Amino acid sequence: MERHGTSSVDCNDSSRSTGQTSGSDKTAAQQTALIVDDEPVSRAGMAARLKRLGYRVLQAGDGKAGLELLRRERPDLTILDWMMPELDGPSVCELVRRDPEVFSSQIILMTGHDQPEQIAEGLARGADDFLSKAASPQEITARVQAGMRAAGLIRRLEHATDEIRRKQEAIERELQSAARYVVSLLPAPGLLLPGLEMASAYRPSSALGGDLFNVLRWDEHSLGLYLLDASGHGVSPALRSASFSTFLRDDNLLHRVGSSDPGAILTEANRQFPLTENGSYFTIVFARLDIRTHTLFYATAGHNGLLLHRRSGEICYLAQPSLPLGFDGGNVYHTADTQLSPGDRLYLMSDGLYEVPSPTGELWGQARLKTSMREAAAKPLADALSHAIGAAEQWLGHQQFPDDIAVMGIELAG
Amino acid sequence: MSMITKERPVSNGVVLDITGDLTYANREQFKTAVERIRQRGVRYLILNMADVRFVDSSGLGLLALVSQNFKLSQGQVSMLKPQSYVREIMVLANIQKLIPVYDNEQEAVTGFKQAA
Repeated sequence: MERHGTSSVDCNDSSRSTGQTSGSDKTAAQQTALIVDDEPVSRAGMAARLKRLGYRVLQAGDGKAGLELLRRERPDLTILDWMMPELDGPSVCELVRRDPEVFSSQIILMTGHDQPEQIAEGLARGADDFLSKAASPQEITARVQAGMRAAGLIRRLEHATDEIRRKQEAIERELQSAARYVVSLLPAPGLLLPGLEMASAYRPSSALGGDLFNVLRWDEHSLGLYLLDASGHGVSPALRSASFSTFLRDDNLLHRVGSSDPGAILTEANRQFPLTENGSYFTIVFARLDIRTHTLFYATAGHNGLLLHRRSGEICYLAQPSLPLGFDGGNVYHTADTQLSPGDRLYLMSDGLYEVPSPTGELWGQARLKTSMREAAAKPLADALSHAIGAAEQWLGHQQFPDDIAVMGIELAG
Repeated sequence: MSMITKERPVSNGVVLDITGDLTYANREQFKTAVERIRQRGVRYLILNMADVRFVDSSGLGLLALVSQNFKLSQGQVSMLKPQSYVREIMVLANIQKLIPVYDNEQEAVTGFKQAA
């Protein structure tokens, strides 16, 4: 075959006068075909035929120039001669399929020898369709139109995918921004009062978590501590938690409940936050610590995550079975109390920290969490939290916890 | 795991046999099955949990919701034979305060007659 250089590339816009359509939603006049053939006569013949069909036609005289034009112009359909020097048709197909920018291009491979083995090889190396040089004008027209139709559908699919990706990215940016807001609601670790240190950890399972914890400063001698968990995952529980945390502000509680008593606060919260129509609800542990007497007052609603680790080594969960908020509007939540001693640690945690499945489905559980806290008794408070989360992560086998993890620990200076 | 529900009449009410997990993923199916029964005017519903392996926090909320809805229609929901893990969740959430738990069907049916 005759050799043509890249100089043989030319561009011809066809007239729009034919008015024929390609079968896709675009008119034929808007669609572009690229013909890559080193044989000038057959290339010109095909170009003339396609122009008559109403397509814009680009031409290249060898594989390298054809590939260059395909990458630059992104034609809807490329008709590629098999036999060309240096870079033949199947090789061009392979290069196109490996290029993420143009891999979805529609390509018809054309040859004078349409043996079944050759057709199979051409398709295997990346052609979409096959055309014999001896094909009738009707067949050529039909195959070109079918190729254009497929190209139109692929373009639409790519546009839709791009659109979805753009929207997804916008939603993710929004979620990240909302997540930063949720984190801004959390208290800063450090000294809460002289002799009372706090450390915490927060790892939402998706961008937005439904767990929240906070510290309320009732007066210079007493603190409120709470950790709540909204059922479900994602945006809706996070919004409900943020709304609940507004209710739980100290000034609002004094106004609405008139007391810093944990049981009274949960009893009122239970009235204010009924089950939603989807059955969503909160569980919560609420505590009040009097730093002068070292007395801890606490109440829970369906929440079992209140762990007392005494300096003596004794470690126990304080919470008793109780209804989650909203399950029974008339329920009264009672306050219990216990005496803390210097060196004691108290943890408020979401069940996401211990309801962690191993790869075989076995849960890590509250007993193993206790063991982990015992192991970390000599470590600083913040390190004890990291130790427990690390142990849970090891049990899980990866870092993507299925549920939100929130934990806040306090330690009385000893 | 998906969920299969099958209902059968008993004296004074309906037993809903549930197979599968009562979780967030199956919430619509569970709600639909239960609402269909309630809207027929059935007042006493026994949820047979013998073949339920797992109830998550969403499932727990649905149980509370169903119990509240039946109470609004002067009815009552009770629970039959929860497996050990499910039973533990029910105990921690004190759910037996709202939904009586029975270990045999006859007792559950008798429980309704007493309530009625």
